[in-house]
Amino acid sequence: MNEHTGWLLDFYGDTQDGLIMWLLSDSGERLRLRMNFPVTFYAAGDFNTLRQAWRFLQGKDVSLARTRRRDLFTGERDVLAVTSPNPANVSKIFYELSGIFPSLDYYDADTPLSLRFIARTGAHMLGRCRIQLDGETVTVIEALDSPWELAPASLPLRILELSPDVDPIVQTPGKLTFLYEREEYSLNLDPLRPLLIILKNILRRFDPDLILTDYGDTWLFPKLREWDASFNPNRDRSREMLVRDANSYFAYGQVIYRGTQTHLFGRWHIDRKNALLFREIGLQGVLELARVSGIGVQEAARKSPGAGITAMQMLTALRTGVLVPVVKQQAEGRKSLANLIHADKGGLIYQPIIGVHKHVAQIDFASMYPSIMVEHNISPETCPEHRRREQGKEDVEDGIIPQTLRPLVEKRLALKQRHMELNPRDCRVKALKERSAALKWLLVVCFGYLGYKNARFGKIESHETVTAISRELMLQAKETAEDMGFTVLHMYVDSLFVQKDGLQEQGDFKPLLEAIHTQTGIPIALEGVYKWLVFPPSKRDKRVPVPNRYFGVFQNGEIKARGIALRRHDTCRFVAATQLGMLKIMAQADDPVEKLLDAQIFMEGQLRRLRAGKVPLDDLLVAKKLSRELNAYKVPSPAALAAQQLQKQGVKVRAGMHIHFWYAGNGGKVSEVSMKQINIPRYCRLLELAAEEILAILQDLSA
Amino acid sequence: MGRTVTTATQQLQETEAMLSRFRRMLRRSDQYLLDGLFAQARLHIAAISHTDALLPFEAALLAMLLEQARHIATLEHEIKLFKGQGDE
Repeated sequence: MNEHTGWLLDFYGDTQDGLIMWLLSDSGERLRLRMNFPVTFYAAGDFNTLRQAWRFLQGKDVSLARTRRRDLFTGERDVLAVTSPNPANVSKIFYELSGIFPSLDYYDADTPLSLRFIARTGAHMLGRCRIQLDGETVTVIEALDSPWELAPASLPLRILELSPDVDPIVQTPGKLTFLYEREEYSLNLDPLRPLLIILKNILRRFDPDLILTDYGDTWLFPKLREWDASFNPNRDRSREMLVRDANSYFAYGQVIYRGTQTHLFGRWHIDRKNALLFREIGLQGVLELARVSGIGVQEAARKSPGAGITAMQMLTALRTGVLVPVVKQQAEGRKSLANLIHADKGGLIYQPIIGVHKHVAQIDFASMYPSIMVEHNISPETCPEHRRREQGKEDVEDGIIPQTLRPLVEKRLALKQRHMELNPRDCRVKALKERSAALKWLLVVCFGYLGYKNARFGKIESHETVTAISRELMLQAKETAEDMGFTVLHMYVDSLFVQKDGLQEQGDFKPLLEAIHTQTGIPIALEGVYKWLVFPPSKRDKRVPVPNRYFGVFQNGEIKARGIALRRHDTCRFVAATQLGMLKIMAQADDPVEKLLDAQIFMEGQLRRLRAGKVPLDDLLVAKKLSRELNAYKVPSPAALAAQQLQKQGVKVRAGMHIHFWYAGNGGKVSEVSMKQINIPRYCRLLELAAEEILAILQDLSA
Repeated sequence: MGRTVTTATQQLQETEAMLSRFRRMLRRSDQYLLDGLFAQARLHIAAISHTDALLPFEAALLAMLLEQARHIATLEHEIKLFKGQGDE
């Protein structure tokens, strides 16, 4: 009997039998281990149909049993348990069975293998564990830590970074840069043979755990396979690379494009340019997502946080013996028109008071919606009488959603607290920020998933309850502030902007925070005190305010802006930098109107630079998202015209893709553009509009 | 958010669109004032939504009146100040 301790890097189904597990042992070995792992799924419904299903399955390589299991909504029910010794066979058997018996309810059939493993063994993704082996087969596995550790033992990962010299969509790359173990060098892509030999050599000798690339999904790995069909970057040599096709889908009211993906076995591949949140959450955030959600690192990097929260809910269900339905079964309940009008609302959005305001405090409820779900025990299966606060029943057992979210909310608050306590220059701050941001994203989407039409454990009534409670809490906060003599300038979902004569230091607002916390039961924190804050009016009508548009400067000089050009993704770098430059000039004064002239002079200087062709082309590059497929455009926009050029260059253009282009002539141009071709008047107009966003209101006030 | 029910903002927009013929017949100067009334109602859109009324335009009219009352109160206050200055 052999024993090892180390970190669990990955697990996936073996093509033959059982499960493959990769362990990074304390001695530095990367161990490929096997584990017998029978997998069970369930079918329930009419007894005659179940009997027929039983007969159908008798000839297959599965064991069958009749048992009772708990459905979240209907309670205990009789089910047919179908157990396959080989996890890889489960989906095939399930699709065959559900094709023939579609009327049955199926459970646990599409649960990811990693979640089953975590629920059964108690170990977790990237967690430390002790294992006992019989040959290469794991017989015992013991978890040594929990995913909720605030400072988990650092993974001694070997990382190889690969990046081309240019964006392959815009230009053909000429070089590939390698970075590993503090060594960095670039190699020409032509001739290719030496590069391939060196890459294979690095994979063999350095043996990275993670290949971190730019455009690895969409360009590098597909190209490497095209150049050398035998190229296999997997550590598990028995497997081929897993390639997933590109797709476009509709979510959160917009079309989202996801490029081709290349997943590896035995080591990870993350393409920084194709990982949804990588820019914000970084590698530490991705690892944190994998750690708490139980989905593999490569998946965690590429999938939306919604997949993470679903995985966490499934894990809670598996651990507590609740069946995970394959298809969502809960439809919206019947209600009267009056009830519908009352319930069908979102968060509270107030209209701000237009103008320049001094010494404004912004206070935010911390993780408001998840905190409400936890505090009030809001879950699809919990009836109103089980919702804690309003009933005063503190001993009611948590529903599936609060059970899932409670440790997440607590960990996020603790990480945020720890990061606030550290000196900003402390080397731990970056990792803490990234991990905290990753958890924040899970908490942001968890509310939406409560009402999402395909969420396994979603029910629209619980979703509506959360927003109703949030509106009530915001009103309570407003009333508390007003009782204490504050003017409430604005309220936006979970933030309040308040002001009171004579109060300008952070400590001055502490009594208000404490009073709101006591009143609502949800922690509230001071985001900061603005030296000045501007709520500009609508561009169409100066008498109408705009809820989420403001800019201001905190007392420490930090600028915060929402809803203006520099925050928009389609603003080019030059326009964004100019707008920020103007704000920085105004930030020097206690009243932005004092620096109005200086800001105008700066803007005109930038305008002259633009007209003289002195702005670098890269700073004029615009990124726009294609809102539909190219052939669906009746009148092609500049972005669509630019996308047509890409298509001619052989790029597969799909809806949701971000197209980077310059405004040139009457349309857009994606490459080989010269300053002479640039549509300067259009950029001048964009700059003027951006300047107007912040200057117009100040000019009115100074007039 | 509003999934099924039209939001108060949308309802106000629809009412404004419904009154477009009424607005067109008004003199330009009156059109500006009418637009101002709707702008005043929009200042209280959160409160209008919070009434849960089937016909939120009633609440919108109240919001307009509220703003009118505020203007009157402000003007009265200013008149008092001017009068005070005159007495001195």
